[in-house]
Amino acid sequence: MNLPALGADLCVKCNICTAACPVAAATDLFLGPKAVGPQAARFRHPRLPLPDSSLTWCSGCGTCSRVCPHGVAVAEINIQAKARLAEEGRVPLRDHLISRPDLLGRLGTRLAPAANLALRLRPARWMIEKVMGIHRRAPLPAFARRTFRRRARARCVDQPPPPDEAHARTVAYFHGCGTNYYEPALGELAARILEMLGCRVVVPRQGCCGLPLQSNGLFEAARGYARYNLKWLSPFAHAGIPIVGTSTSCTLSLKHDYRAILGLDGEAAEDVAEGTYDIFEYMTLLLPEALDRLELLPVRARALYHAPCQLRAHGIGTPALEVLRRIPGLRLAVSESECCGVAGTYGLKREKYGVAHAVGAGLLEQVRSADLDFVITDSETCRWWISGHAGVPAHHPVEIVARSLEII
Amino acid sequence: MRDLLIVGAGLTGLFSAALAARRGVRVALIAEGRGSLELSHGCIDVSGGLSPHLVVQQSRADHPYSLAGLENLEAAIREFRSLMQSAGLPYSGDLGRALRLPTALGTEHATSLAPAPLAAGDHASGGPLTYADLIGFRDFHAGLAAAEMARLGAPVGEPLHLPLLDAPAHRDSYATDLARLFDDARRREEIARAWKPQMRGVRRLALPAVIGLDRSAEAFADLEKRLGVPICEIPTLPPSVPGLRLEGALRRIAVEAGAWLLDGARAVGRVDGRSDGRRVSGVVAHTAGGPRQLDAAAVILATGGVLHGGLVARQNGLVQESVFDLPVTFRGEREDWTSPSALSPQSYARFGLTVSADMRPIGAHGEPLFENLFAAGGILAGADRAAEGSRQGIDLATAHRALEAAGA
Repeated sequence: MNLPALGADLCVKCNICTAACPVAAATDLFLGPKAVGPQAARFRHPRLPLPDSSLTWCSGCGTCSRVCPHGVAVAEINIQAKARLAEEGRVPLRDHLISRPDLLGRLGTRLAPAANLALRLRPARWMIEKVMGIHRRAPLPAFARRTFRRRARARCVDQPPPPDEAHARTVAYFHGCGTNYYEPALGELAARILEMLGCRVVVPRQGCCGLPLQSNGLFEAARGYARYNLKWLSPFAHAGIPIVGTSTSCTLSLKHDYRAILGLDGEAAEDVAEGTYDIFEYMTLLLPEALDRLELLPVRARALYHAPCQLRAHGIGTPALEVLRRIPGLRLAVSESECCGVAGTYGLKREKYGVAHAVGAGLLEQVRSADLDFVITDSETCRWWISGHAGVPAHHPVEIVARSLEII
Repeated sequence: MRDLLIVGAGLTGLFSAALAARRGVRVALIAEGRGSLELSHGCIDVSGGLSPHLVVQQSRADHPYSLAGLENLEAAIREFRSLMQSAGLPYSGDLGRALRLPTALGTEHATSLAPAPLAAGDHASGGPLTYADLIGFRDFHAGLAAAEMARLGAPVGEPLHLPLLDAPAHRDSYATDLARLFDDARRREEIARAWKPQMRGVRRLALPAVIGLDRSAEAFADLEKRLGVPICEIPTLPPSVPGLRLEGALRRIAVEAGAWLLDGARAVGRVDGRSDGRRVSGVVAHTAGGPRQLDAAAVILATGGVLHGGLVARQNGLVQESVFDLPVTFRGEREDWTSPSALSPQSYARFGLTVSADMRPIGAHGEPLFENLFAAGGILAGADRAAEGSRQGIDLATAHRALEAAGA
């Protein structure tokens, strides 16, 4: 399969990416995005083994691509090189497992009480670290007893519904594995808020977005999920029904990675990419009047908002912050950290945990020292990582808006 | 809808965003990648060491200084100083007297304002310099600088080579790596203890500008106290720490004051106003997913010149403006654009947008092209900012004028 060209030759070696890279700041084992990206790309022959392994330290947070002023897709170069490592068979079994949250989720939700108990036991975590290589201190989320899809059965559809006179807009909700298996209440709140903004909300058939597999270099398996999603989602996009998500990493996959990293092109990939929105992006850009009419009641609390690296990579700024700032009584500080450290599955790995922790150290320190009621951040893996380490609750912005609307 | 949308995240864009947000304007800023501040020395060059008053008075009618006028330059400098003071990154100097600062090559850099640690190197205020390099840091050579300074006839101490503790061992150190070391109080203490014995006879120590990144004021004061000699910082090759500090401070001010920063999105063109072809209603942003419309009551274009992406020189000899395709003032054939010596004045440097006195780009007959579109900074025609030593002065003065004209 031909992979997209990523502009290595546009690099002028200005090091803006190196200065911004949160992993290079945390460990000198990583040579930095410029060095392992556009620079090392010249030494990676298509038919010879890869000469370098420093790029395994790249967490895939995407900061480098976003800050590059010359349009070099630095992170994408790195992840494609990681896929080469995977092809050479240099990916441990552990990575194959943690990159399939849907599989874990289907199993875990069925065994929820027992599985959750087991994951809280120290000896069990010690065992998992020894056998699986998942660091014993990396926070893991608790499985829900009932999946979101089961709770939202009435909304689930396979095909775009015909236009509905009662609603000006229909949106297709992409819940992702995080909401389906771990935080089903979040999906229900998102749907209710969209309804309060005048939308009809349906839940199309969907699978894991494939991002965890892709970040671990397992491109073929990731493409399997991607094709499944494109097959079921493209009719919605084609019918002009936006695909709205609450998981910033899943929506990034739909928008960008399928095309720019996995190399899937064609009409379906394009329609889905252009038709996918982060929920707050959708509200602020497409429903501004409805948003203005929303009656937001005070939430008296001190909070820190952290924009996840995978949201930043959307290139849409921080739309959730735009909405949170409208909530009376909410005293918001804004995190300056590029990344909390976990970057999806990176921080779970025994050998990466220390670096991930160092990447997020500044943020965790800010959280601990600020006397906060809670942290607000859009990505589930950031929430689990931050609350698990700092001992402060972490919420999706949807939950805070829901609180302000008094629907929880 | 936003009151104001700024395109570009260099000094012009970030200063405009920070100042407008502080004034309570609902402002958004969109930029493809980080701006050029990370390549900058962090000082405010106004007039190449000449009297700013005379330079502004004697500028040609089409020079940005003539258009903005002395009152905007003076007001912009006041606003800039007060913003930086409030951000804990105070600047020294004023328009009355030029600072003459040492460079990493041992030459002299005449500037108007400099961050306090750089201004501490002013030739007029302090004893002879002793240059020191940091062992293992390849971007700064004390011997080279000291030899050149001695050749130019300035008194200079015997160069020092100071050891670094905990510097990266697996790769070269970047200035940012070292700056983060100095942010850490414990490491700073160890370093100062190791350096102290070499401070005998030193009147003023000139170090590469790596003394702290996020906590630079604290780091600088603490190191100076521990060493017991006056110190000054000298900017290095990119990534330039003084530029990063300035960028960070302006971003922080803008975000805290409510600005919406959209990083990593490319502005590609105006959304045509529906009511009247003489107004722009915003820009189209190319984001990770697809094009998004960003509406605004006014737009300031701060995308820079040929070297920064605001202007694009084509193979066919045309120079185009990159976002709105506005008419660009340029002269001659491609071979006439540059001088044989890179350090001489350049013809291409004067290319840019011709604007009215209120910073609106104008057409062939002098008429503003759009009522609510303004331009500021390096994209303006009529100045060779490198040769004149006027780069940041023009950025600030024209940004100030554009904000005023945009009603912000």
